[in-house]
Amino acid sequence: MPESDPVFLKVDDFDVDGAVREAFERMPQHTRSGFLGRAAAAGAAALGVVAAWPDLASAQPQSSDTKILNFALTLEYLQASFYTEAEQIGALRGALAHQAHVVGMHERAHVKAFKQLLGPAAIKEPTFNFHGVTENPDAFRSTAVAFEDLATAAYKEQAPLIKSKSYLAGALAIHSVEARHAAWIRRLAGFLPAAHAFDDPLSDAKVVQIVNSTHFVTLRDPQTSMKAKPRFTG
Amino acid sequence: MVEGAQTRIESPGEGRERLLARVSRASLFKGSVAVLGALAGAAVGGAELAASAGSGGSAATDREILTYGLLIERLQAAFYAAALAGGQLTGEARQFAQVVGADEQAHVSYLSAALGSSAGASPRFRFGDSATDPAKFIATAISLEETGLGVYNGQAISLTPKTLAAAARVVSVEARHAAWARAIAGKDPAPVAVDVPITVAQAKQTFKPFIVA
Repeated sequence: MPESDPVFLKVDDFDVDGAVREAFERMPQHTRSGFLGRAAAAGAAALGVVAAWPDLASAQPQSSDTKILNFALTLEYLQASFYTEAEQIGALRGALAHQAHVVGMHERAHVKAFKQLLGPAAIKEPTFNFHGVTENPDAFRSTAVAFEDLATAAYKEQAPLIKSKSYLAGALAIHSVEARHAAWIRRLAGFLPAAHAFDDPLSDAKVVQIVNSTHFVTLRDPQTSMKAKPRFTG
Repeated sequence: MVEGAQTRIESPGEGRERLLARVSRASLFKGSVAVLGALAGAAVGGAELAASAGSGGSAATDREILTYGLLIERLQAAFYAAALAGGQLTGEARQFAQVVGADEQAHVSYLSAALGSSAGASPRFRFGDSATDPAKFIATAISLEETGLGVYNGQAISLTPKTLAAAARVVSVEARHAAWARAIAGKDPAPVAVDVPITVAQAKQTFKPFIVA
């Protein structure tokens, strides 16, 4: 970037909720109604989507660390799938295409690492439908900012709850990479990479709520679904 | 951009560069086992400063780690203040110095408040043209931000959970700074899939030239 050409990145904060809402609204109308139709046919849409997440309050005999790692794995599945699909579709160009390529490699490496750590306890990959967001550079950029800021906040909330030192070291080493990803895509979107002096954590409930509002998570692996009890039944 | 300057500034961290390259190769091409191996090594390296503490952490260990964090933040805040006072930065580099300098100053206040009377006085710093020469500024900023982040990541596992939660609010902002500085220099903001901690001994080598007394 030439020094003679001052770049003033936007000081306004990026609105994560707004971005995911916008991404959803940007979907072609037929895709949106098609998705909602399919979801309705499958049962209550909200229930179906929420069931795609690992049940953090599950009574299953798994350690609290396992639950946290599965939560992280789900976020990594989401991100890896998003970048991989964007790269395969090939609608991105230049710096944005490079970002998707490199960050996609990172997110896939994170998925592999968590699956390896969790072994048979690893949650299966849900099915995602990005509803065209991966085909449109503007929608991709906004969604990527939302995902990366969200992942950073999610790791920050979960890290102090991790009991195993080696898992904690791994989570911290990924937490700061997610923050780098956030800074990277924010800059490409014209926002300050570091908009605040402090980054705040976000509870798993809030993270799930935001991701669910995108309707990107469409189906949980049937095998995993069998084991989970519905969250909203009385 | 100014590879020579950067090589010189980062020379104490050559081991880190090799480690980064190794982790990068491991994470990208050899899959999860190698990533986990790198992470395990990282965890061992990070135990250094708090080696005498129990695994559960303690108030004394927290204070020791936050005190080193405060030194890093003071050094970074002084660096950006010197860079802006030099008056030679323009464009995005200048905006970076303004925004990041304000962040570091906020971190100094945050850690000082946490440490209370044990915070102690700040040493004096001298940056010379590393801060004021636009060609050297970003390379130095990358070195300082990467080192600060690496130390935080290495030490954080030894903090008590409550202090870790408080420190984590700062750590990801340091990561954003490092990424932003790298982007301005035309480098990938996130060069590897997992960030590798830096030992305090390595960090001291990087910071030493800038600390007067």
